[in-house]
Amino acid sequence: MLDTPKEPLVRVSNLKMHFPIYGGLLRRRTGEVKAVDGISFDIFEGETLGLVGESGCGKSTVGRSVLRLYEVTGGSVTIDGRDIAHAAPEELRKMRTQMQMIFQDPQASLNPRMKVSEIIGEPLREHHAGSAAERRERVLELMDQVGLNRDFANRYPHEFSGGQRQRIGIARALALNPKFIVCDEPIAALDVSIQAQVVNLLEELQERLGLTYLFISHDLSMVRHIADRVAVMYLGRIAELAPRDDIYAEPLHPYTKALLSAVPEPDPSVEEKVERIILAGDVPSPSNPPKGCNFCTRCPSVMDICKRDEPEFREVQPGRFVACHLFNQTT
Amino acid sequence: MPDGPAPVLQPVLDVRGLKTVFKTRSGEVHAVNDVSFDVRPGELLGVVGESGSGKSVTMMSLIGLLPSPPADIRGGEVLFEGNDLLTTDAETLRKVRGGRIGFIFQDPMTSLNPVFNVGFQIMEPLRRHMGLSKADARIRAAELLELVGIPDAQRRLKDYPHQFSGGMRQRVMIAIALACDPKVLIADEPTTALDVTIQAQILELVKDLREKLGMAIIWITHDLGVIAGIADRVMVMYGGQVVEQAPTRELFGNPQHPYTRALLETIPTVRGARPDKLNVIDGQPPILGAAPTACPFRDRCQYRFARCDAENPSRTPAGPGHDAACFYDFTAGGPRVA
Ligand SMILES: Nc1ncnc2c1ncn2[C@@H]1O[C@H](COP(=O)(O)OP(=O)(O)O)[C@@H](O)[C@H]1O
Ligand SMILES: Nc1ncnc2c1ncn2[C@@H]1O[C@H](COP(=O)(O)OP(=O)(O)O)[C@@H](O)[C@H]1O
Ligand code: SF4
Ligand SMILES: [Mg+2]
Ligand SMILES: [Mg+2]
Repeated sequence: MLDTPKEPLVRVSNLKMHFPIYGGLLRRRTGEVKAVDGISFDIFEGETLGLVGESGCGKSTVGRSVLRLYEVTGGSVTIDGRDIAHAAPEELRKMRTQMQMIFQDPQASLNPRMKVSEIIGEPLREHHAGSAAERRERVLELMDQVGLNRDFANRYPHEFSGGQRQRIGIARALALNPKFIVCDEPIAALDVSIQAQVVNLLEELQERLGLTYLFISHDLSMVRHIADRVAVMYLGRIAELAPRDDIYAEPLHPYTKALLSAVPEPDPSVEEKVERIILAGDVPSPSNPPKGCNFCTRCPSVMDICKRDEPEFREVQPGRFVACHLFNQTT
Repeated sequence: MPDGPAPVLQPVLDVRGLKTVFKTRSGEVHAVNDVSFDVRPGELLGVVGESGSGKSVTMMSLIGLLPSPPADIRGGEVLFEGNDLLTTDAETLRKVRGGRIGFIFQDPMTSLNPVFNVGFQIMEPLRRHMGLSKADARIRAAELLELVGIPDAQRRLKDYPHQFSGGMRQRVMIAIALACDPKVLIADEPTTALDVTIQAQILELVKDLREKLGMAIIWITHDLGVIAGIADRVMVMYGGQVVEQAPTRELFGNPQHPYTRALLETIPTVRGARPDKLNVIDGQPPILGAAPTACPFRDRCQYRFARCDAENPSRTPAGPGHDAACFYDFTAGGPRVA
């Protein structure tokens, strides 16, 4: 699948999303949370880009910014050649059908007072797609596609299990035939045995419908399964981006190394031999990130330059991008 | 270390035939069905199972933490230091809880009191259970914070829970649970809410503390990776029952229950070979509306045969220290005889 050079469907360049912090009696702007602070990546058509990192590092903000659910602070996002970050409202409305989102908590993202058929059909109504009868048929077809029993079309979300509710969310996301879907922790709330069902469904749909995914997760083993390439975020920036097999076989950035080494292995004989890099301390606050490399306060390989200069995010091997001074020096 | 020769010590905690039912408006929930297990001094027993399998209700039942109604403990014995905790008087139970048996829960934010500083919350059990003076309790509290790896312990006693990060709060919870030198520590998903690098810090701490303190630990998790790294023995729960129990290496190397086997084949890993397709366990966990009369896993089991629908399998020996509740015999490759 890698031999035909494909076009990026999504291009993100130098994306920034800073949230203002207001304080004091007059609620004046006293600072900002640099949730996403200058990141760039492409997602190729039909590909899954995994976006991993620990909670608060900015993954969801990236997902939402890419779909322009926020007015971003800086940078550009193009989807299918069109600049979404600066699109006018009418154009944006048209582009919205092309891109969708699947959320972590199917419970919270589904209106409890709507029937399943109404939930799945909502985007069709909003975009005036087809007649009522056509829409009804489309809803049933979507239910088949995601493995929900048609007979349950008139039930309410609470009558379904967590895994089935996630299927409802997926069916709704597919209603308008999108090209690109941001999946924000779609399996985090599900049990292990149900996670695999949902991941397999997402993979089948991708193959059948030619979908492109940004798959956000903190679960490094699931991302290894589903992603073609993986971006690792730390404190609002991408530390490393590489093809999946490369990054899991030989992580380059010190943060990626520590992160992967921390994942427990469900096999006692392997687990015993894992060489764990235990990072000291906690992640600094995104409202006051460290100077220089944002990982310098916890990095086992930190050098003087790291506390002074921000490392450039650059391609150090074909297709492998790293932001770390260790790699600036050697090449 | 996982899998030393099993220590031949008497159990410190021995649970037999525990049954817990909730009475709700929409009927009964048979959350815990005939659960039996024990832990020995110095042993770490891992308990795994998906959500709703009865892990928390089992642990809450045995130290009387469930309000009744709705909970109704219908049977069983919980033997600890010569008492049956299910029938003992309230005073004895209060002394055991938070004293001789310590707890850590998943979310430290809900179990720490936001309006008291951390020092007060560690000193409180020391004064109540151990009768320490205020001054002695303060000294001990600082020692405990230091023990669990909180820098600048003395000064941090004055800080409130919100002034600690998630990982640090979990360390505070561990300090409180260890305060009275418990014989048994029950940890219910203590790292589930934490990031993986912080989880690694806590797991290192626990390994270290085990060597220093020698208490028995019951560690509940849904993460088989965590279990593989720290448990001596593992108990697998499904649908309110114990479906398999074995020394850690034996469980991972020679699983004898179809649920355990399927689970081990389902989970992806970050190391080793990467399968093209994830195995799935089709279907959903059972609804626990009545006492089970058949195997709770049968709807999702690929080995199911007639007997599985007619009887609930009891736990049967499957090797040294190993048992499984299943009518299928993997060694023979067919239904179990008897
Ligand atoms: N709407 C918002 N207003 C202010 N701060 C926010 C907002 N959304 C997210 N943040 C902050 O931005 C940072 C990144 O958050 P998020 O993107 O949700 O991280 P992740 O999804 O990786 O856990 C966090 O510090 C979070 O508190
Ligand atoms: N207060 C309650 N009322 C009714 N049912 C309950 C109550 N608490 C727990 N349950 C039920 O008991 C079963 C076991 O729950 P629990 O022990 O919390 O599972 P686990 O800890 O393994 O995720 C579940 O079906 C749950 O819905
Ligand atoms: S730049 Fe320096 S501090 Fe940052 S990750 Fe690389 S080695 Fe560590
Ligand atoms: Mg998020
Ligand atoms: Mg629980």
